[in-house]
Amino acid sequence: MMEKTILKSSFPQWIKSLQSFKVFIPKRENFGWELSSNNQILEIASDYTYPVVPPKKLIFPQEEIFFEFEQNPDNGIELKEVLPEESPQVIFGVRPCDGRAVEAMDLVFGGSFEDLYYWRRRRQTTLVGLACHQPPSENCFCLSVEGSPYSEDGLDILLTDLGDRYFVKALTEKGEKLLSEAPSLFKEITPKDREEKERVHLEAQGKIKRHLNGARELPEKIKAIFDSNFWDEESSNCLRCGICTYLCPTCHCFDINDETKSLAPLRGRRIRTWDTCQFPDFTMHSSGHNPRPDRASRLRQRLAHKFLYFILLYDRFQCVGCGRCISLCPVGIDIIEVLTRARNHGK
Amino acid sequence: MVNNVYLPRIGEIIEIKDEVKGARPIKTFRVRLTDGPIFSFRCGQCAMLSVFGKGESMISISSSPLVTDYLQFSILKMGRVTSALHEMEPGNLIGVRGPYGNGFPIESWKGKNLIFIGGGIGLAPIWSVLQTALLQKDDYGELMLIYGARTSQDLVFRSELQQLKNQIPVHLSIDVAEPGWSEFVGFVPQNVLDKKPSPQNAIAITCGPPIMIKFVIKALKDLGFEDDQIYTTVENKMKCGIGKCGRCNIGHHYVCKDGPVYSWAQLKELPQEF
Ligand SMILES: Cc1cc2nc3c(=O)[nH]c(=O)nc-3n(C[C@H](O)[C@H](O)[C@H](O)COP(=O)(O)OP(=O)(O)OC[C@H]3O[C@@H](n4cnc5c(N)ncnc54)[C@H](O)[C@@H]3O)c2cc1C
Ligand code: SF4
Ligand code: FES
Repeated sequence: MMEKTILKSSFPQWIKSLQSFKVFIPKRENFGWELSSNNQILEIASDYTYPVVPPKKLIFPQEEIFFEFEQNPDNGIELKEVLPEESPQVIFGVRPCDGRAVEAMDLVFGGSFEDLYYWRRRRQTTLVGLACHQPPSENCFCLSVEGSPYSEDGLDILLTDLGDRYFVKALTEKGEKLLSEAPSLFKEITPKDREEKERVHLEAQGKIKRHLNGARELPEKIKAIFDSNFWDEESSNCLRCGICTYLCPTCHCFDINDETKSLAPLRGRRIRTWDTCQFPDFTMHSSGHNPRPDRASRLRQRLAHKFLYFILLYDRFQCVGCGRCISLCPVGIDIIEVLTRARNHGK
Repeated sequence: MVNNVYLPRIGEIIEIKDEVKGARPIKTFRVRLTDGPIFSFRCGQCAMLSVFGKGESMISISSSPLVTDYLQFSILKMGRVTSALHEMEPGNLIGVRGPYGNGFPIESWKGKNLIFIGGGIGLAPIWSVLQTALLQKDDYGELMLIYGARTSQDLVFRSELQQLKNQIPVHLSIDVAEPGWSEFVGFVPQNVLDKKPSPQNAIAITCGPPIMIKFVIKALKDLGFEDDQIYTTVENKMKCGIGKCGRCNIGHHYVCKDGPVYSWAQLKELPQEF
């Protein structure tokens, strides 16, 4: 662990010093903020909130090739593994919730079957967090799910905006390495820096408007109302667009499919793409039988995964309280409201 | 070098047998791996088979782990992948990755009577246990098979079943009467009630269509079997086979990894999403 400060006026030099990395910095687009690697941007805009598509896409891309297959002249089959390039990347402006989400995703892609594609990128990724001095969304509720606007979980560095400078806390070796690329830019901290940082953190906490009370009671509650008609009522407006899951920083479900480029000789590739539990065919067997046949069972799956199953598996929520699914759902299905009603259901 | 879990090994189909013809055809495939010996596995485990250009399907290994020359799969033609498999000929190449799933806890069944209850293609995973128990007959008590299908032409492993009758009691059934059929007519659960296997020191292993399993379990309970004496397998749509793609779950269990084998004692505690 290493604590320093850097003047905002020196920030561009730091970014420039990171030549051996692909650097992603938030860029304003007409649809919102995006993590961009266009090399033009050398600072984090003061009105930056958070990216519409969470940083997961840089570690677990929406589409990726597993391998290519090709029939060879003696009718054998050649498989060519397509692994992510060996290229280290740095992501600036990772909000603490999104950092915690990466940590949750690590649990899924690790374990007894390690996902090589995920870990190739993950190991080459340095996450530079930015504490929120203002909640990026009116729907932020990180405090209710064991996070905070200055959580360090999953991050390599946490920056805190102190006006003319950042408080820089390097949390991992990867983080320290990033500081060592331009050591002269970083200053020793003073007690005043530390005081200011604490103040910013506490103030931010007070600005969070939304709360999901008693989240740790939800696992039992969801179990208790699993078979009730609660879910029918809550899900009846769902359009099955999948936005709530595609843009969720912790959702990891995917599909695997083959794409054929040529039939004779056979040539093509196997790809993985993001998928969602909100699509009916996600679970539909070839026979037409579907264990989650309606909106109710699919909404229940989304929420039970985040607030029951993940807790049973890893003792943590699979929701980091970023509020994206609330802000972006076209029909206003609000996870805080649904879960609050779930808690009170039958009372 | 870390193993790439998504990269299949190449398997060569060495033998294909037509089990069932007609609208719902079933074929049995024997496959060897082109790059070396087959992997070791447990009864009830599965493999992801690929037809390159079509995709992958999870299929139970129906041969016994004691047979190491080949892997055997019995496959019902359904959609893209299974139809492509049905088009194949010996010598054709497929992808194989696995083994996946937990398998049956057959070590803990030593000394017990085993009652196998199957319906249709559901005989495939059972077959692996049955063959193993036959090869290690001294380790187990009495064996019995109760097996049924819609018609006599829908029964798989027909010639093997005839031979099996010389070794253990085999009770076949078909759903509706046919000329020349001398065995039970009716559904598998009814045949179970008719044959009344004793729960004494016994384990019942049942696989088949979900509706059959449901009523077989009920029949077994009526005969006095305890929940932890009944084992079954769960089938859910699968893609990754390793607990990551998120679709095959029942509650916090990923059937591909934590299943597909469950005792009824375990399964009844989980959400019934299968
Ligand atoms: C644990 C397990 C063991 C199985 N064992 C056997 C067996 O021994 N013999 C046999 O004939 N069938 C078995 N099945 C069913 C078999 O996997 C499906 O029938 C097959 O995947 C259908 O694929 P398709 O491409 O032909 O159909 P499509 O309808 O084209 O399916 C598209 C894809 O969806 C997935 N999918 C669709 N339905 C199922 C399903 N019911 N189960 C799993 N994945 C599905 C597969 O990835 C498939 O490739 C088993 C399924 C499971 C889960
Ligand atoms: S974003 Fe809203 S409408 Fe779309 S799938 Fe999710 S809950 Fe349904
Ligand atoms: S098949 Fe992907 S999680 Fe089970």
